[in-house]
Amino acid sequence: MMENAWLIPLFPFVSFVVLLVVGKQLKERSAYVGMLLTFISLIYALGVLYERWTAPTYKQAYTWLTIGNVQLTVGFEVNALNALMLVVVSLVSFLVHTYAKGYMHGDERFPVFYAYLGLFTFAMLGLVISPNLLQTYMFWELVGLGSFLLIGFYFYKEEAKAAAKKAFIMTRIGDVGLLIGMILLFLEVGSFEYEAIFAALQNGNISTTIITLSAILIFVGAVGKSGQFPLHTWLPDAMEGPTPVSALIHAATMVAAGVYLVATLFPLYEASETAMMTVAYVGGFTAIFAASIGLVQTDIKRVLAYSTVSQLGYMMLALGSAGYVAGIFHLMTHAFFKALLFLAAGSVIHAVHTQNIEQMGGLWKKMKWTAPLFLIGTLAISGFPLFSGFFSKDEILLAAWTHGHVGLFIVAVIAAFFTAFYMFRLFFLVFAGEARTNVHDVHESPMVMVLPMIVLGVLAVVSGYVQTPWGAFLGEWLTEGTNWHAHAEGPSWIMIVATIVSLCGIALAWLIYGKQAIARDWLSSRFPMTYNVLMNKYYVDEFYGLTVMRATAFISLLFEYIDRFLVEGIARSLAAATRGIGRIGSRLQNGQVQMYGTVTIVALAILVVIFAVTGGYL
Amino acid sequence: MQPYFLSLLIFSPLLGILVLSLISKEQEKAIKWLGVLATLPSLCLSLFAFWQYQNGYDISQLTEKRSWIRFGDFPFLRETDFTVAYELHVDGFALVMIVLTTILATLAALASVSIQKEWKGYFQLFLLLEIGMLGVFAASNLVLFFIFLELTLIPMFFLIGKWGYFEKEKAAYSYLIYNGLGSAVLLIVIAILFARTGTANIAELRHILTDPIAQMQTISPISDDLRYGLFIALLVAFGVKLPIVPLHRWMLRVHVQAPPSVVMLHAGVLLKIGAFGLVRIALGLFPGQFQQFSTWLIVLGVVNLLYGAFLAFRQTDFKMVLAYSSVSHMGIVLIGLGSLNEAGMQGAIFQAVSHGFIAAFLFFFVGVMYERTRTTTLARLGGMAKTMPYASGFILAGAMASLGLPGTSGFISEFMAFVGAFRAEPWLAAIGTLGIIMTAVYLLRAVLRITFGQTTVTNVHDLRGIEWVPAISLLLFIVIIGVYPNVLAMPLQTTIETMMNGLGG
Repeated sequence: MMENAWLIPLFPFVSFVVLLVVGKQLKERSAYVGMLLTFISLIYALGVLYERWTAPTYKQAYTWLTIGNVQLTVGFEVNALNALMLVVVSLVSFLVHTYAKGYMHGDERFPVFYAYLGLFTFAMLGLVISPNLLQTYMFWELVGLGSFLLIGFYFYKEEAKAAAKKAFIMTRIGDVGLLIGMILLFLEVGSFEYEAIFAALQNGNISTTIITLSAILIFVGAVGKSGQFPLHTWLPDAMEGPTPVSALIHAATMVAAGVYLVATLFPLYEASETAMMTVAYVGGFTAIFAASIGLVQTDIKRVLAYSTVSQLGYMMLALGSAGYVAGIFHLMTHAFFKALLFLAAGSVIHAVHTQNIEQMGGLWKKMKWTAPLFLIGTLAISGFPLFSGFFSKDEILLAAWTHGHVGLFIVAVIAAFFTAFYMFRLFFLVFAGEARTNVHDVHESPMVMVLPMIVLGVLAVVSGYVQTPWGAFLGEWLTEGTNWHAHAEGPSWIMIVATIVSLCGIALAWLIYGKQAIARDWLSSRFPMTYNVLMNKYYVDEFYGLTVMRATAFISLLFEYIDRFLVEGIARSLAAATRGIGRIGSRLQNGQVQMYGTVTIVALAILVVIFAVTGGYL
Repeated sequence: MQPYFLSLLIFSPLLGILVLSLISKEQEKAIKWLGVLATLPSLCLSLFAFWQYQNGYDISQLTEKRSWIRFGDFPFLRETDFTVAYELHVDGFALVMIVLTTILATLAALASVSIQKEWKGYFQLFLLLEIGMLGVFAASNLVLFFIFLELTLIPMFFLIGKWGYFEKEKAAYSYLIYNGLGSAVLLIVIAILFARTGTANIAELRHILTDPIAQMQTISPISDDLRYGLFIALLVAFGVKLPIVPLHRWMLRVHVQAPPSVVMLHAGVLLKIGAFGLVRIALGLFPGQFQQFSTWLIVLGVVNLLYGAFLAFRQTDFKMVLAYSSVSHMGIVLIGLGSLNEAGMQGAIFQAVSHGFIAAFLFFFVGVMYERTRTTTLARLGGMAKTMPYASGFILAGAMASLGLPGTSGFISEFMAFVGAFRAEPWLAAIGTLGIIMTAVYLLRAVLRITFGQTTVTNVHDLRGIEWVPAISLLLFIVIIGVYPNVLAMPLQTTIETMMNGLGG
C-alpha cells in the first residue's frame, strides 16, 4: 500500500474537481461525494500506517524541473511521522465532512463548500507526504489557499472578506521567510530533498551561519502558519469561516503544519542552538500570551482560537526544548480534542444562533450529547488526569524541564493554569446556570453532527494512552533509528504539579462562573487596565495598523507622486524641449542664404572637432 | 517539414487579411469568424513544430535563407559583406515565444467578439499585428527583426487609437512616440553594427563580437567604449518595450485605453519582445557588457518589482492595477536576467511566458467584466461572486497565478528567478522578496473588492458560450506549466546553455 500512498491526497482532489464541475446538479448530495472520497483516503491512510508500523520508510521521486544540471524532483515519502499525520488529517477531515452535512444544510453554496473542503484536504495530505522542502512549500501555499477560500466562504460579509485577506497576507509574510530559508539551504546543499539536507548536516557541509539563518527563516514560515506571535492575529479573525472549517483547518490540521514543518526539519534545528532557543521562546511566549487573551474573550470561537494559538505555542516550546516526541504527541491529541471542541461549539452555535457566550448558558440539559462531549474536550485540553491532554502536556513540561529551560517551564505551567481556567469559564458560561438566550426551541443537533463528535470524544480520551509515563509506545516508534528521546525522563513531581495547577484552574472557574461564589468582575474591576489590554488583545492589530499599514500606504503615496509628477514631468519637459528645439529650427529656415551658410559651417566645425577628438574611431 | 515552414507560419495570417478584404464590412458574424479562423493556421503550425521539437526533431532544420538586399559592390569586400538576407530561424526560446503568440492570438481573436464597430478593419490590423509579432521571434538578422518590430507598431497604433476607450488617441500617440523613440535607438545600434561589421546576422555578429580573432578580421573593430554605449542603447530600446521604470508611462495608458482583446496581446506578447530582445540581442551580442552591468539589472528589476507593486496598491481602477502589476512582474524578468546563472535566466524566460498567459487571462476577464458592467472602477464593483460565480472564480485563479501560487506558472518563474538572484546578490534578492508580499496585498485588495462583499451590479450573466474557450484554455496552460514545468524547461535547455556559454560558463 505504501507504494501507492500518493493516492491518498488524490481522492479529495477528485472530490474537488467533481464537485466543481457537477456540484450544481448534485446539490446537497455533494456531501456524499466528499465523504466517500475522504473516507477512502482515511482507509488508505490507516492501511499505510499499519504497514509502516513494521516496514521501513518508503520514498519515490520523479524529475520535475531541470535547471541547468540540477534536477528538482517531486514524489512522496512515507515515514513514521507522516504516516501518523496522514491518519490524523484524513480522519479529522472525514469527520468534518460528515459533520458539515448537518451544519451546512440549507446553505446556497453547499457544493462549493464541499469542493473547497476537498481542495484543502488534498493540499494538506499532499503537504504531509512531501519528501522535499520545495514540494512541502508548494502544498504549504495551497493549504493556505484552501484556508483563504473557506474563511471567505461567506464572501458577502465584510468581516469574512477582511479576515480571508488578512489570513492570506499574514501567512504569506511568513511564507516569504520560509521561501528565503529554503533557497538559502538549497544554494548550500544543492538539493531540496530532506535526505540530502540531513546528510549534508551530518557531514558538516553547511556553514553554521546558514544553518542558523535558514532554520530561523523557515521557522518564520511556521510562525505565520501556526499563528505564533507576532503573526498570530489572523487566526482569531479566521473564525469568520464556517465552524467545521475552524475545526478542520484552524485547529486540527493546517495550523499544525508549522509544528509539523519544524518537526520534519528537526535535525536542522538541533544543529543550531540559537534556532532551538528561538523556537522554544517564541512558542513559550505565544503559549502564555494567547492564553491570557483567552481569559477575557466573549466569543465562543475566539476563545477556542486563542486557545489554539496557545496550544500551538506549547508544541513549539516542546520542539524547541528537544521534545520531538512531546511536540508531535501534543499535535495529535490537540487535533482530536480541539476539533471536538470546535465541532461542539458549532453544535451550540447551530442551536442558539449566536457566538456570544453571554447569550448562552443553561444548555447542559438541552443538549444531551453536545454538552458532555464539550466537557470531555474541555477536560482533555485542561490537562485533567487520564485524559489525552494530560499526558501530552505532561510530556511537554518534562521536555522543558529536562532541557533546562526553567523559565519556560514556569511559563508553561502558568499557561496551563490559564488554559484550565478559561476553558472551564467557557464551559460554565455556556452550559451551566440560567439560559440567557433568546432562542426558545433550543434542541440537539442531528445525529450526522453528533456522531463525528462522539468519535472525536473517544479519541480525546484514549489517544493519550499511546504515550504514557508507563510506556512510550508512540515515542519509540517515532524516534526509531534516531538518537532522540522517546520519552523525556524527569522528576515525577512535575506530573503532580501539572495536575494541581489544572485542578486549581478548574476550581477557580467553578467558583466564579459555576457556583458564582466570587463576583465575575472581582478581578477585572481591580485591574481595569490589564483587563482592557487583554480585551483588546494587547492592541497588536492596532499597532500593525499604525505602523506597517501606514508605512505601506505612505510608500505607495510617495511612489504615486514620483510617478505622476517626477517621471511624467520629465517626459513632459522632454517633449516640451523637443518642441522648443523644433521651433528654433523652424525659425532658422528663413529663406536667407547667409543663415544656411552659417549653419553649414558651424555644423562642419562641430564635425571636425568630433573627428579630431576621437580620431574618427569610437 | 517543408523548407519554407517558418515563412508559412509567419505569413499565414495574410490569407485572412486577403479574404477579409473581399467581404462586405457589414457582415459582422462572418468577419468575426473569419478573424478567428485566420489565426488558426499559424496556431496549428506552431503547435505542430513544438510537438515535433518535443519529440526530438532538430529545429535548426527549419532555418530559411534567401538573398535579399545587397548594399554596394566593392571589389575589396567579400561577397557576403553588406548584404541583408531574408533569413529565419528558431531555437527553443523563439519557438516557445511563437507558440505563446499564436495561442494568445487565437484566444484574443475569440475575445474580440466584444468589439463594437468596424470589425473588418479591426481584424485586418489584428492579423497584421500577429505577423509582426511572429516575425520578430523568428528573424535571424537585425534588419529583419527591426522591420517586423515596426510592423507591430503600426497596427497597434490604429488598434488603440480607433477601438480604444475614451482617451484612446492620447494613448495611441503615447504608444507610438515612446516605442518610436525606442525603435530609433535600436535602429542606430543596428546601423552602427552593420556599418562596422558588414553583417546584420545575429549569429555572425555574435561570433564577430565575442571571438577575439574574428574581431580582428572584421571591417572596423569595435572598441569597448562603443560596446558599452551600444549595450546601454539596447537596454533603453528594449527597456521601453519591457518596460523598465521610468520608461513605463506609455504602457499604463495602453493597458487602460486599448480594448481588452488587444491588451491581451499587448501585455501577453508585445511586452515580451522587450525581454526577448534583451536576451537575444543585448545579452547575445554583448555578453561582457551584460556581465558588468548585471548587478544594475537586478537593481532595476527590484525597483520595477517594488515600484509597480506599491503603485498597484493605490490604484482605483482594475485595469490600472493590472498595468502596474505588469510593470512589477517584468521586474522579475530583469532580476532573473541580472543574476547570470541558469536558474535566473530560466526564471526570466519562464516569467516572460507565464506572465504572457496570466496577463492575457486577466485582461480577458477585464473585457468580460466591462462588457457586462460598463465599468472597471473598483469602487463601483463588488460581490461579483454572487452574480457571476464562475467568472469570479476565474479572476481569483488568475490573481492567484499572478501572485505566484504554487501549482501555477507564476510560482515557477518567480521561484527560479529568486533562486538565481539569491545566488548572485542575496541582499538585493532579500529586498525583492518584499515584492512577493506586496503582490499578494494589491491583488487581493483589488480582486476581493470586485468579487467579495455586497453585490453592486445585478442583472449580469455569468460566462457563456465562446467565452469559456479562452477562460479554460488559458487557465489550463497556466496550470500545466505550474504542475509540470519541464514541459517548458526542456525546450529551453539549449537556449540557456548557449546563453551561459556566451557568459563564459
